[in-house]
Amino acid sequence: MFNIIKTRIKEGIKTKKINIEDIKKDNIVIFNEELKNKLLNKSKNKNFTNNISVRVVDSGSCNACLHEMSALTNPYYDMERFGFKFVAAPKHADVLMVAGCVARNMYSALLKTYENIPHPKFVVAIGDCAMNGGVFKDSYATLGGIQDKLTVDILIKGCPPEPIDILAGLLLAFGKSAK
Amino acid sequence: MKNKLDFIQNLDKDIKEAVTENFYNQDNELVLKINLKDLKKICLYFFKDLKFYLLSAFAVDESKNDGNKFKIRYIFSHSSIDLFIIIETETSGTFPSLSEEIPALNWYEREMKDLFGLIPEGHPDPRPLMLFPENYPQDIQNMHPLRKDYPFNFRPEFKKYGEYNYNKDVKGVGVFNILVGPVHAGIIEPGHFRFSMSGEPILQLEIRHFWKHRGIEKIAEGKTIYEALSLAEKISGDHCVAHSLAFLAAAEKILNIKIPENVLYIRTIYAELERLLCNINDFAWLFQDAGYSFGAQETFVLKEDIMELNKYLSGSRFNKGILSLGGINTCGNIDNLRKNVLKEKLSDFSKRYLNLKKMLLNSSTIGERFEETGYINKETILDLCALGFAARASGVPSDTRKEHPYLIYDKLHFNSKVLKNRDVFARLLIRFYDIEESFSIITQCLNELPAEDINKAGGEYADNNVNNTGDNISKNKSKNDRCIIAKNDKIDAAQQLSTDSLRSWALGYCESQRGNIIHFVKLDEKSRISRWKIRDPSFHNWQLIEFAVIGDIIADFPIVNKSLNLSYAGNDL
Ligand code: SF4
Repeated sequence: MFNIIKTRIKEGIKTKKINIEDIKKDNIVIFNEELKNKLLNKSKNKNFTNNISVRVVDSGSCNACLHEMSALTNPYYDMERFGFKFVAAPKHADVLMVAGCVARNMYSALLKTYENIPHPKFVVAIGDCAMNGGVFKDSYATLGGIQDKLTVDILIKGCPPEPIDILAGLLLAFGKSAK
Repeated sequence: MKNKLDFIQNLDKDIKEAVTENFYNQDNELVLKINLKDLKKICLYFFKDLKFYLLSAFAVDESKNDGNKFKIRYIFSHSSIDLFIIIETETSGTFPSLSEEIPALNWYEREMKDLFGLIPEGHPDPRPLMLFPENYPQDIQNMHPLRKDYPFNFRPEFKKYGEYNYNKDVKGVGVFNILVGPVHAGIIEPGHFRFSMSGEPILQLEIRHFWKHRGIEKIAEGKTIYEALSLAEKISGDHCVAHSLAFLAAAEKILNIKIPENVLYIRTIYAELERLLCNINDFAWLFQDAGYSFGAQETFVLKEDIMELNKYLSGSRFNKGILSLGGINTCGNIDNLRKNVLKEKLSDFSKRYLNLKKMLLNSSTIGERFEETGYINKETILDLCALGFAARASGVPSDTRKEHPYLIYDKLHFNSKVLKNRDVFARLLIRFYDIEESFSIITQCLNELPAEDINKAGGEYADNNVNNTGDNISKNKSKNDRCIIAKNDKIDAAQQLSTDSLRSWALGYCESQRGNIIHFVKLDEKSRISRWKIRDPSFHNWQLIEFAVIGDIIADFPIVNKSLNLSYAGNDL
């Protein structure tokens, strides 16, 4: 333990810098109109401006997308420095982050989680599967992608998208300045 | 039982008589055709008397115009001989259930009932497995998706058709149930757990899975090998290399493709990198769930560094899209420059890992939570045919790299450690050994990697027409994306296949971090997938958890769960 602390004091961990201007936008789709309206409503309430709570639901991913989402909390990406945080209950959340296609068996659970998030709520879809179901879109066991079932506000493309893209998408959409 | 070739001669007399036909499909795949009435006798002979391990069981729809016909195959193997026994029988609708005697068959038989409509007669628990009564019509003739006459994109109406029934209730004064899932509090895949408790200790756990059932096996039917390869990466994302390797092994065997020596080395390096990454990840989560944030974050940093190394090597943080039929894609090539970087990074990683390991082993809080938690008995392992480190931590050797060497594992020096402690701590220790072996295997591979340039060794190029249906693997690849294959082996799959009709199917297998992965691949005349049975080790190992938690307190469940770290995606398919 002593060795580890010594190295950390000497070297530190280089948290990744993000420049809003440099973000490659080709992997991020924001469905502007809706999001803007929602943001406008939201900014009336000061409590929301600095803290955005995210609830993750996996509705049929291959788990690579989940690995990338959980990487957001590690010291390299550290999304809490921007005020984003993962919460355990939908009632506490502002954002529903979904990965994977909508598996038939998960559909009701997904809807329930969505309904339990208080208004105004945002849906962030992660990965190509979430976009339109990807290769699973025709399967008997799925119902297509998230886009077919919920109004998606932000979509991050990639298979899986890199954590830096997910973070950049969140920053862009919620108009946060990157430090 | 050492000799492969006269194996059949040494079997019991009445077993030999019951076998109607036997042949070697591949070098180590002995097929025994039998009649349905002898199924029980023969399976029990291998499982109980010869102590063979069940690896997979599945049906194949071979119906023609003149009625239903299904082939059922059971695959057995043994740790002391490099041989797969494939028991093959035919049925038109029912087959005897063997779940009482071979508990590992429980889910397989329910799967066949759901997906093919074959009835396992006398099954102790014939509830539906993956087609939930809440949204899928039950017991209707043409509602079995893996039958050939079921259209690939047909979706029955989404409405409630029935209710889920829990298996058995625990009754008694003060007994209560805790229901968890399918949506969990953390960033975890969906699964449903019912704990029956009395006070703190868990009396019974029932797991309900298959929430993420996506129908991969049906989607793959009719696809080309390249398309299926891209699907193989989506079976369980953290094991994309292992699943692709298993699938390719089968496809390459059927098409009789020889793999260049250096490609074998490079594939081994990637397989071990994946094992390393998953083990480090598990290690981090165990820290996290024991409430030791400092260690956890430090290990997550190490994990992130390995993923960045992956990205440097192949352009993808999970090494997706590097494997190709007969070779590897150029983006995954390991040239001299990458070789040196890899060596340098690995020595740094291994130093950091040793520090972390020391920290964990010196911490008494960690030791107290992990020791004597989550016992899994040897008998449970053998009954459920559990695989991988879960088996090895309970005294049962299970390592495909030793039992059925593939790639270049027979040339490498490594140990597959077996411990007898049976608890969470033992499973952690096994991971430590695995991590150290991975470091050593990669170093051995790098030292012996054939020197010649991979492009030259490969000789000719063939266009790699990976079909990117909806995914953007291509984004990660270099522009000159080609696949490297052996000389004179222009891969015209259709032509290859017609020359030898015996080999329309093969088994592909490999050892993933969680345990043995086995794929059955059958191609049709146009060399498209006709049946693909995928078996992730999680399919066997999930059932262990119901036994592992009994008597523990519920707060230890996350630790027991993480100590097995199973894939929901690979299990649900
Ligand atoms: S987008 Fe790709 S990585 Fe994400 S869940 Fe789908 S297949 Fe897996």
